Amino acid sequence: MEPGDAARLGPERVVRALPSRLLLLPLLPLLLGRGLRAAASASSSGAAAEDSSAMEELATEKEAEESHRQDSVSLLTFILLLTLTILTIWLFKHRRVRFLHETGLAMIYGLIVGVILRYGTTATSGHDKSLSCTQEDRAFSTLLVNVSGKFFEYTLKGEISPGKVNSVEQNDMLRKVTFDPEVFFNILLPPIIFHAGYSLKKRHFFRNLGSILAYAFLGTAVSCFIIGNLMYGVVKLMKIVGQLSDKFYYTDCLFFGAVISATDPVTVLAIFNELHADVDLYALLFGESVLNDAVAIVLSSSIVAYQPAGLNTHAFDAAAFFKSVGIFLGIFSGSFTMGAVTGADVTKFTKLHCFPLLETALFFLMSWSTFLLAEACGFTGVVAVLFCGITQAHYTYNNLSVESRSRTKQLFEVLHFLAENFIFSYMGLALFTFQKHVFSPVFIIGAFVAIFLGRAAHIYPLSFFLNLGRRHKIGWNFQHMMMFSGLRGAMAFALAIRDTASYARQMMFTTTLLIVFFTVWIIGGGTTPMLSWLNIRVGVEEPSEEDQNEHRWQYFRVGVDPDQDPPPNNDSFQVLQGDGPDTARGNRTKQESAWLFRLWYSFDHNYLKPILTHSGPPLTTTLPAWCGLLARCLTSPQVYENQEPLREEDSDFILTEGDLTLTYGDSTVTANGSSGSHAAPTSTEEVLERDLGMGEQKVSSRGTRLVFPLEDNA
Amino acid sequence: MERQQRFMSERDEYQFQHQGAVELLVFNFLLILTILTIWLFKNHRFRFLHETGGAMVYGLVMGLILRYATTPTDIESGTVYDCGKLVFSPSTLLINITDQVYEYKYKREISRHNINPHQGNAILEKMTFDPEIFFNVLLPPIIFHAGYSLKKRHFFQNLGSILTYAFLGTAISCIVIGLIMYGFVKAMVYADQLKNGDFHFTDCLFFGSLMSATDPVTVLAIFHELHVDPDLYTLLFGESVLNDAVAIVLTYSISIYSPKENPNAFDAAAFFQSVGNFLGIFAGSFAMGSAYAVVTLLFPLTHLCHLTKFTKLCEFPMLETGLFFLLSWSAFLSAEAAGLTGIVAVLFCGVTQAHYTYNNLSLDSKMRTKQLFEFMNFLAENVIFCYMGLALFVFQNHIFNALFILGAFLAIFVARACNIYPLSFLLNLGRKHKIPWNFQHMMMFSGLRGAIAFALAIRNTGSQPKQMMFTTTLLLVFFTVWVFGGGTTPMLTWLQIRVGVDLDEDQKEPSSHQEANNAGKSTTKTETAWLFRMWYSFDHKYLKPILTHSGPPLTTTLPEWCGPVSRLLTSPQAYGEQLKGDDAECIVNQDELAMNYPEQATSPCSPPARPGLDQKASPQTPSKENIYEGDLGLGGYGLKLEQTPGQSQLN
Repeated sequence: MEPGDAARLGPERVVRALPSRLLLLPLLPLLLGRGLRAAASASSSGAAAEDSSAMEELATEKEAEESHRQDSVSLLTFILLLTLTILTIWLFKHRRVRFLHETGLAMIYGLIVGVILRYGTTATSGHDKSLSCTQEDRAFSTLLVNVSGKFFEYTLKGEISPGKVNSVEQNDMLRKVTFDPEVFFNILLPPIIFHAGYSLKKRHFFRNLGSILAYAFLGTAVSCFIIGNLMYGVVKLMKIVGQLSDKFYYTDCLFFGAVISATDPVTVLAIFNELHADVDLYALLFGESVLNDAVAIVLSSSIVAYQPAGLNTHAFDAAAFFKSVGIFLGIFSGSFTMGAVTGADVTKFTKLHCFPLLETALFFLMSWSTFLLAEACGFTGVVAVLFCGITQAHYTYNNLSVESRSRTKQLFEVLHFLAENFIFSYMGLALFTFQKHVFSPVFIIGAFVAIFLGRAAHIYPLSFFLNLGRRHKIGWNFQHMMMFSGLRGAMAFALAIRDTASYARQMMFTTTLLIVFFTVWIIGGGTTPMLSWLNIRVGVEEPSEEDQNEHRWQYFRVGVDPDQDPPPNNDSFQVLQGDGPDTARGNRTKQESAWLFRLWYSFDHNYLKPILTHSGPPLTTTLPAWCGLLARCLTSPQVYENQEPLREEDSDFILTEGDLTLTYGDSTVTANGSSGSHAAPTSTEEVLERDLGMGEQKVSSRGTRLVFPLEDNA
Repeated sequence: MERQQRFMSERDEYQFQHQGAVELLVFNFLLILTILTIWLFKNHRFRFLHETGGAMVYGLVMGLILRYATTPTDIESGTVYDCGKLVFSPSTLLINITDQVYEYKYKREISRHNINPHQGNAILEKMTFDPEIFFNVLLPPIIFHAGYSLKKRHFFQNLGSILTYAFLGTAISCIVIGLIMYGFVKAMVYADQLKNGDFHFTDCLFFGSLMSATDPVTVLAIFHELHVDPDLYTLLFGESVLNDAVAIVLTYSISIYSPKENPNAFDAAAFFQSVGNFLGIFAGSFAMGSAYAVVTLLFPLTHLCHLTKFTKLCEFPMLETGLFFLLSWSAFLSAEAAGLTGIVAVLFCGVTQAHYTYNNLSLDSKMRTKQLFEFMNFLAENVIFCYMGLALFVFQNHIFNALFILGAFLAIFVARACNIYPLSFLLNLGRKHKIPWNFQHMMMFSGLRGAIAFALAIRNTGSQPKQMMFTTTLLLVFFTVWVFGGGTTPMLTWLQIRVGVDLDEDQKEPSSHQEANNAGKSTTKTETAWLFRMWYSFDHKYLKPILTHSGPPLTTTLPEWCGPVSRLLTSPQAYGEQLKGDDAECIVNQDELAMNYPEQATSPCSPPARPGLDQKASPQTPSKENIYEGDLGLGGYGLKLEQTPGQSQLN
C-alpha cells in the first residue's frame, strides 16, 4: 500500500490521534469483516451501551479463553507428536531397525500432522484488523489502542513485507502452531549445543584437534563460498529464464551458503555409536559438526552485517568486507572467551557436595547464564554455550560430586533429546503450516547440486592437505564417508527460519527444509549400507548378550570400541610418560598433535586444573618456589588428599556417550588391581573379581540409590 | 533506503532480543545467588530462613535496584492510539507505518487509570512476565511433584482427615475471609477510602478463595529435615496439596459467577450454577488426570517390556523418562484444552502415577524421573518466589491500602482458626488416633501462603479491586513466609512436638514387611472408613495386577470363570515377585526413595524372595559382614542393570 493511497483514503476514516507531536493518524481498517458488522450493530443499539459494554467484556474474555485453549491444543499437538515418536523409536530400537533414525521419524509424524492441520481445519478469518498509520517512522514494541473507550495493549510481533499483507495467515490454528523463530535460538538450541560440547569425546577430540579445526573453519568457509557462488549462478540462470520474481543479491547467496554449511549428522553419529564404528572417524565427524555449527552461525550473522558504505548496497566493498571479517573474528573470539571463562569459574571453592540437587541446579543455571550473557553482550550465545560445555566437561565436571555428575548428565540428555525431536517434528510441521513457502524447482535443484559440490570441495582437498601432515592418515573410505555424512539438520533450519521476511529468504527457507528432509531420510537411511560398502571397521566385536562383561574387556584390549577405548592412563600428561601399550599411543599423540597442543596440555595439567578443580597435582609442586604462598591458597585441600592417581586420570574420558559407569568401573579396576594394560586372557575368577570391583565403584558413582545404605548402616 | 530501513528494523530486533536476554539473565543470577546462599545456610544449619524466603529477599533487592536505578527510556510507548472504528479488540492488528506493515499481537486490556503509570520504564515493563506463564509453565512441575511425592501410606491412613481439611476447610476459610473482608470494605467505604460499588461481595469471595490456598513449603522442609511426626507431616502436606486444587477451582467458579440481572445481587440459579461448575470442573480434572495416568501405565510397551521378556526394551531409560514427562504435561494441556483446570489434572495424574506407573518403570528410569521432577520443582519454586520479591517493586500498578491489608491479615488468621479447630474437633470424634492440641496449634500456625495464591492473584490485575488484592496477597506471602517460616523451629519446641523421631525408621520398618507392615495394616483398617478399606482391597487385588507388575497374580484373586482373562492380564513377573506388591505403597517418599531400592534390588537377585525376607527381617542391627555382602550383591546387580538391564531373570 502506498502512502499516498493511505492519505487519500485517510480523511474519511480519520480518527482523533492522541498526543503531542504525532500527526493525525489515519487508521483504516483494511480487513473489515466482522469488525464493521460489529460496529454497525453497536451503533444501532446505542441505547443499550452499558449493556453492550458488559457483553463485550464477556466477549473479550471468552475470546481470550478461546485463544488460551487453542494455545493448549497446539502445544498438546507437539507433545503428542513427541510421545508418538518416542514410542516408535522404542519399537525401532528393539527391532534394531536402523534405516530410520528418531529424528527422521519425528519429521514424518510432523509432516502427517501438518497435512491434517493444513487441510483438516477451516480458516477462521475475521480476527484480523489492519490499520494503517503514516505518521510514524518506526515501530514501537508496545502499542496502546483506544477502542471505543477501552484500552488495549498490543505487542509487536513482527514485520510483514508489503506484498504479503493479504496473505497473512487466516487460520488461527495454523498461526498458533507457528512459533516465534527466536524460540529455536533461545530455548531449543542451547541444550542441544551444550550437550554436544559436553559430550565431545575428549581424548579423541584432542588427538584430532588439528584436523577438526581445519575442517570446521576452513571447510565451512570453503563450502560457504562455493555454495554461494554456485547459487549465484543458479540465480542468474533463473533471472534469465524469468523465474525470479523478486530481488536476490549476491550477499543473499552467501548467506544461504553459510546457513546450509552447518552440518548436523545426528543420524549418522547415532548409528556410528550403535555400531561402534571407528573412533577416529567418529571423533572427526562429531567434532567437525559441532564446531561447524558455531562457525556457520557466526558466519551468517557477519554476512548479514555486511553493509557496504556506498550507494550501491550490493556491490563489493573492501572496507565493508573486512569489517565483516572483523565482526566474525570478534564475535567468535568473544563468544569463545566468554564461554570458556564462565565455564571454568564455577564451583571450585564451593563444595556443595552434600546437596546434589543444588549442584545440578547451579550447573544448569551457570550454563544458561553463559548463553544469556553472551547474547546480552552482542556475541553469539550458541557459540558461547558450546565452549562453555567443553570447558565445563573438562574442569567443572571434576568438581561435582559423583551423584551430581550422573544427575547433570541425565538432565542434559533428556533436555537434548526432547529439544532435538521437537525441532525435527516442527520441521515436518512447518512444511505445511508455514505460510510463505516459495518453491522454485530450479533453485532447489541447484541447491542440491551445490551442497554436494560444496561438501566435496571441502572434504577431499582438505583431507589431502591434512594427510600431508598427519601420521595416521585419513583413509579414502573415511573421506568418502565424511563426504557422505553431510547431513543438514536443526542448526540450518533454525538459521533459515530466523528471518523469513523477504522473498529471497523465504525461498531459502523452503529449500533448506527440503534439503534437511532429503538428507536425513535418504542419507541417514543409507548409512549402514554405506558403511559396509566402504569397508569401514564396524563394531569389531559385537557384544553378545550373555557375557558383555567379557567382551568389554576384549574391547579394552583391542581398543576399538568407541565407548570403551580409554586406556587406564588417560590424562595426556600421563600418556606421554606411560608405559606398555600406552607408550605407542602416547607416541602417536606426541607426533600427531603439534607442540603447541603439548605445551597447552602440560600447562593445563600443571596450572589450570589445580586452580580450577580439585584434581591434578597440587600447585605447590608445580609452581616455582617463589609463588608458594599463592599456590597454597589456590590449591584446595582436597588435592592433597586425592593424590592417588585414580581421581585425576579418569577426568579426561569421563564423558563417554552412554557408559559413564563402565568407564568408572574400568578405571577402578586399574587402580585396585594390576595396571590394567596387561590384558592377557583372563580367567573367570579374575572376571568375577573385576565384577565385584566394578560393583563397588558403582556404589559410589550411582549416587543415592546405593550410597545411602552404606552411610546409614556403617 | 529500503534496505537501510530494514537494517534498522533488524537492529531494533536485536536490541529487543538482547533485552530479553538481560531480563532472563537477571533471574538467572538471582537464582544462582539464592542457591549459593541456601548452600551456605544448609551447611551451617540455619533454619530460620528457607530457600524460598532467601529467593524473595534477593528478588526484593533486585527489584529495588531496578526500580530506582534505571531511568525511563521509551517514552512513546505510552501513547494511546484512538481507534473508534474498531468495536472489539482483534487478536492481531496490522499497522501500516510509513509503508512498512507491522503485525501486533493482542496482549491484554488495560483499564483507564493504569495508563499513566504504564508510561515509561521499558526495563520494568520487560521484567513483568505474562501471568499465564505461572500457570502454564511454572506451576505444573511444582504441583506434579507434590502429587508425585505424597507419602502414600500415611496419606491413605489419614485420607479422611485430609479430605475434610482440604474441601470443607477451604470452603469455610473462603467464606470466612470473604465475609470479614466484606466488612472491611464496607468500613473503607465509610471512611471514604473507596468508592461505593467498586468492590463487590463476589470480589471479596474471590479474595477469600485465593487466600485459602496454603503452601507451607517452608514448614514442610523444616519438618522433613527435623523428622517431625509423620502424621503431622502428612496432614499438613496432604492438606496443602489438595487445598491448592480446591482453591483454584473455587476461584475459577467464583470468577465466572454471573447472575443474570443485577450482576452483584445474589441469584440462586447462578449460585447453583457456580457450585455445579465447581463440581464439574473438579470431577472432570480429576478424571482427566487419572485417565492420563492410566494411559501411561497401560502402555503396551512398558508392559510388553516385562511381559514378553524383550529385555532390550528396558534399555532406554531416557525414553521412558521422556515419555513420562511428556505424558504428565499432556495431562495438563488436555485438561486446559477441554476447559478444565490443568493443575488439578496434573495433581491427580501425579498421585495416580506415583501409585501405579512408578512400579512399571525400570529402576534407572525411576531415579531419573524422580530427579528430573525434583529439579524442575526446585527451579520453578524458586523462580516464583524470586519473582514475588521482584514484583513488589517492578509491578507498576500496586494499590496499597492499609485498612484492607490489616483486614486481610486479621481475616486469614481468623479463617485459619475457624477451619482447623472446629474441623479437628469433629474429626477427633471419629478418629481413633486423635489429633492432639499441639498438632492443631501447629497446623493453625502453618497457614503460610505461597506460590498458588500469588499465581491466582496475578492472573487478573485489570481492575482496581484486583490490584488491591494482588498487593495484599504479595504482602501476606512475604509476611507469612518470613515470620512463620522463620518461627517454625521455635514453635515446634514450644509446642513439644516430637522431633527427629522416626520418619526414617518408620519407613524402614514397614518396608521390612513382616510385623511392621501388619501393624500398619491393622491401624489402617481401624482408622480409615470401610469405604477406603474396600478400595484398598479392590486396588490391591484387581487394579494393581492389571496395571502394574506387582501385587498378587490375578489368577488367584479373580473367580475361576475368568481364568483366561486373568492369565492374559497378569504379567509373568507378578508370579515371581509377590513380595514387591507390599512396598509399592511406600516407595515414593520424599527422599528415602533410595532406601527402598536396595531391597528391591536384592530381591530379584536372590531366588524367589524368601531369603530376601529373612535377611531383611532384622534390619536394625545388621552385622558388618551382612552389610558387606549386601553391598557386593548390590554392586553386582547394578552392574547387570547397566549392561543388560532387565536380565535379572538370569540370576
